[in-house]
Amino acid sequence: MTCMPKNPAVRRFYLRTAATTGIYIVLTIFIALYFYRFHPHGVCAYLLALLPAIALAGFIVTIGLYLAEEKDEFQRDLMVQALLWGLGGVLVFTTAWGSLETFVHIRHFQPTWTYLVFWIFFILRTPFLLRKYR
Amino acid sequence: MGCLQKNPAMRRYLWRFIPTMIAYVVVLLFVEWFVHRFHPAGALLDGMAILPAIPIIGIIVVVGLYLAEEKDEFQRNLLIQSMLWGLGAILSLTSVWGFLQLYAHVHPFQPFMTFPLFWMFQGIATAVLRWRYR
Repeated sequence: MTCMPKNPAVRRFYLRTAATTGIYIVLTIFIALYFYRFHPHGVCAYLLALLPAIALAGFIVTIGLYLAEEKDEFQRDLMVQALLWGLGGVLVFTTAWGSLETFVHIRHFQPTWTYLVFWIFFILRTPFLLRKYR
Repeated sequence: MGCLQKNPAMRRYLWRFIPTMIAYVVVLLFVEWFVHRFHPAGALLDGMAILPAIPIIGIIVVVGLYLAEEKDEFQRNLLIQSMLWGLGAILSLTSVWGFLQLYAHVHPFQPFMTFPLFWMFQGIATAVLRWRYR
């Protein structure tokens, strides 16, 4: 992992990801505090709830930019594989949870957790991919 | 779609994808019927609830096999791009819905809707990308 930042596309990807994730966290905290303090409703509440999705859209753009900028086809393929594993993890996890929620009445799955679940599967798979191709 | 089936990898993909998707719908309906008819409890209920996730693992494998078998780089890239758009859309939607649920008290999001919604977004992305590259 230490050699990765030497690659300019990876370096830019890290910086952009850190920025969009930072913005996402800040917006999430800001919205939570705003709702706690001012109890907005109607259109204002909807608009505020939409805000974190802007940071998320930024993250999607970051991935797109990385895939467009990465000259090393192997690294690009590695990223695509990790993303698809993250996606697969999200689909299996949410379906299993959804069924358990419907039939076994376990705790409700907060939709905002989907982003976190994606990252967990993405991060869990990456070291295996790196080991596989080392 | 007719011209796609001339491609052997795409033909195999469709032959694997369609039965797995049908299996998902059948398993989902069967579990729904079984639980309401027999009211199972304990481990049997847990097992039944997890059943619909198995065809989803199958679909992930089908997509992985297609990406490994597809010789046409353009077609492979098209599927990857459309899946990434689908991923971005589903992460954005669940994030927005999650915050609306938390703060604007909208109807709770059913986690098992992630899977059909993802494929809906992926389908739209495929159509847009095909139109763009025609």
